[in-house]
Amino acid sequence: MPMTDNSAGKIGAAPEGARARDRLALLTADNAAVPLPASVQAITAILLAALLIALPWLGLGYRFLSIAITTLYTAIGLYGLGLQFGQAGIMSVGHAALMGVGAYASAILSVQLDLGFWTSLPFAMALSAIVGGVIGLPTLRVGGQHYIIITFCFCALFVIVLTNGGTFTGSATGLDVGSVTPLPGINFDKLSNNYYLVLAALFLALAATHLIGISRYGRTLRAIRENEQLARSVGINVDLHKLGVLMVSGLFAGLAGVLQLYYLRHISPTLFGAFPSLYLALMVMLGGARYLYGPLIGAVIVNFLPEVLNLDPVDSRIAYGVCLLLVILLLPGGVGAGIKNIYCAIAGGSVTQGGGANGRA
Amino acid sequence: MRQLGLGLAMAAAGLAMALQAARADEELPIGVVAAQSGSFVSAGNTIVGAANLAAQQINDAGGIKVGDKTYKIKLYIRDNRTDVNVSIAAARELVNDIGVKAIWGTETHDFSVSMAKIIGPAKVLQFSGNSSLGAVLDDTAVADDGWLHYTFQSEPQEWQRSGSTAKGVLSLLTPQLKSPPKHSVVFVGNDATGQYLSSHYVKALEAEGQKVDLVQYPPDTTDFSPLLTRIKGMKPDIVHFWYNGDSTLTAFPQALKLGVAPSYFLFGVDPGIYQERSLKADVPVTLSCVPVCWGSSPYPEVKQYFEKYFGLGAAKGPQSSVSLLYYDYFFWYAKALEKVGKIDDPDAVVAELLKSDYKGVVSPVPLVFNKHHQVTFATEVCMVEPNTSDQFKCAVEQPPAAPPPGDNGG
Repeated sequence: MPMTDNSAGKIGAAPEGARARDRLALLTADNAAVPLPASVQAITAILLAALLIALPWLGLGYRFLSIAITTLYTAIGLYGLGLQFGQAGIMSVGHAALMGVGAYASAILSVQLDLGFWTSLPFAMALSAIVGGVIGLPTLRVGGQHYIIITFCFCALFVIVLTNGGTFTGSATGLDVGSVTPLPGINFDKLSNNYYLVLAALFLALAATHLIGISRYGRTLRAIRENEQLARSVGINVDLHKLGVLMVSGLFAGLAGVLQLYYLRHISPTLFGAFPSLYLALMVMLGGARYLYGPLIGAVIVNFLPEVLNLDPVDSRIAYGVCLLLVILLLPGGVGAGIKNIYCAIAGGSVTQGGGANGRA
Repeated sequence: MRQLGLGLAMAAAGLAMALQAARADEELPIGVVAAQSGSFVSAGNTIVGAANLAAQQINDAGGIKVGDKTYKIKLYIRDNRTDVNVSIAAARELVNDIGVKAIWGTETHDFSVSMAKIIGPAKVLQFSGNSSLGAVLDDTAVADDGWLHYTFQSEPQEWQRSGSTAKGVLSLLTPQLKSPPKHSVVFVGNDATGQYLSSHYVKALEAEGQKVDLVQYPPDTTDFSPLLTRIKGMKPDIVHFWYNGDSTLTAFPQALKLGVAPSYFLFGVDPGIYQERSLKADVPVTLSCVPVCWGSSPYPEVKQYFEKYFGLGAAKGPQSSVSLLYYDYFFWYAKALEKVGKIDDPDAVVAELLKSDYKGVVSPVPLVFNKHHQVTFATEVCMVEPNTSDQFKCAVEQPPAAPPPGDNGG
């Protein structure tokens, strides 16, 4: 049946490449959705930064600060997952294992070569990035649920290897490390200093996510997410970009893993198994992978909900399940989308469900 | 007016008496970090049960007299939700926000080690009934500036427990079998504790002349039949279900159904639980408890302890006896505080604990800490008469004098 729509006729009249580019522009324009005013974005960033910086001074206690540190390094890992899922549309349920690669690389370098936090950090991040890329190779051939199953298998395999790795991986008992090497005048044994170290890393992750979101690279990733065939047809090297974002995600995971290692100062395989990975996926979906603050929101919900409501692990899992159902049904873009919707409703602006794909919402 | 004055005077006198009482009974804050929810809850609840009972008994007996003051124990119990991050947060809170003097817990290696790295620098004592701590308790770690200087392991060294258990199991089973057992299979969960414990137990069995095969199952396994079928093919004389009592209670009936071996040993399954669950086997079965069985103990002190322990509402479970890894140490710690004469000198308390002994419930022989902060006591092993659920024959085996060949201690 011939297309009679005017716009279709116009597109049909254009050359093939231009037509594809136009359609791509329409797609990405749709997904860029309602960026918040620059002033609102700036105020939000400043208020959030001020709150996070002031947290140790609010007298909330060491317990609160400890859970805050856990939340922050988890959020850093989530920003990697947010990039690959939110921007490029590649979901993983084995992300904790990628964090584990970083953590174990750093721990092994510490145990075997006596390398400290700062020296081992770049190696650990690089190894996580490489492993992220290697696991990503199947995405060039399969996608969607197939890739999710592959990441799950990687996670299970990783734990088996660690558990049976003898003294090299510490087997099931795990590995121990010392404190973060102090900087002049800064001893990271002090909990607030440890908090600021993790917070600085979070700010880096946030800044990198924001810059990727507004960059051409970010737009390219979103184009791949929305229509891979179309993106390929306009000359985008989809394979390279997919591997690239998985490696960037691996960098974030490696950073988070090393921070986790030096916070706990002891790691074992159970930290990087299936359950932690599923929790990471849950957090990123709850918070909203496409929103700049979505991963942070997800990490806060999952880490603080049991504390605030005094839920035991069974109740927590039920609560997370209910939250996830509610988010899927009512807020497909996650809680981040909900917050933005509320703001837009108050400010009288238009709202696009699941928007904010430019990462600036 | 006169009545008002009298009333005021009485109120003032009451207030003064209350203040005097408050001055007389100061508070000794002690932390307990244990899983009261999550997958380790059955072990975690026993720590809380023991702590509540010990604190109540000490306080009811007048408290702890340290110098010219009397202290009543105030417990700060924190649920770690079987989560290492919550364990660490709880340890930080107890140490930094509350200022506890000692912490009891927690139940797993990972959590205990991560907590020790917070508790140690704060010079707070830690009592952990985690035998795999032996892997890290060495000369350097327990030195004055070591990271485990303030940590004490309230369970014997694993080679000791493995040695006494292996000896007890074989001595009870051998007369029951047609020929002396030569081939054992150790069936164990492949996690941190399982790996550590079985490495010692295999050597202990080998030292008793057994040919040993180790078969590990992934944690959280519920269908053991494929692995049990494999074990049956090995034709063992004894299958030793090692370490995790909860998993054993799932696996053992499956093994009986499959007829895997002519005899079994169930580690960490109390005769009381065997009886309550009406388990029955047509072959000889031995059981051991950590550290002493609540269902069939030869010691009157242990029987009295468990009457009081369950009297406080604690649940009867495979791990109830684990509470005895924590109970005695409250009294020993109190005794050390009284001897030192002040509560703010943890180094002196550590020194006192290392040079003193304590005759508690868990052992008829006084407990002593060795230089690596570990205690020694015997193991109770029981045998169930075939085709019964409640006929037990129990023996108490003393630990061997030295580790078996190939076991470097720990």
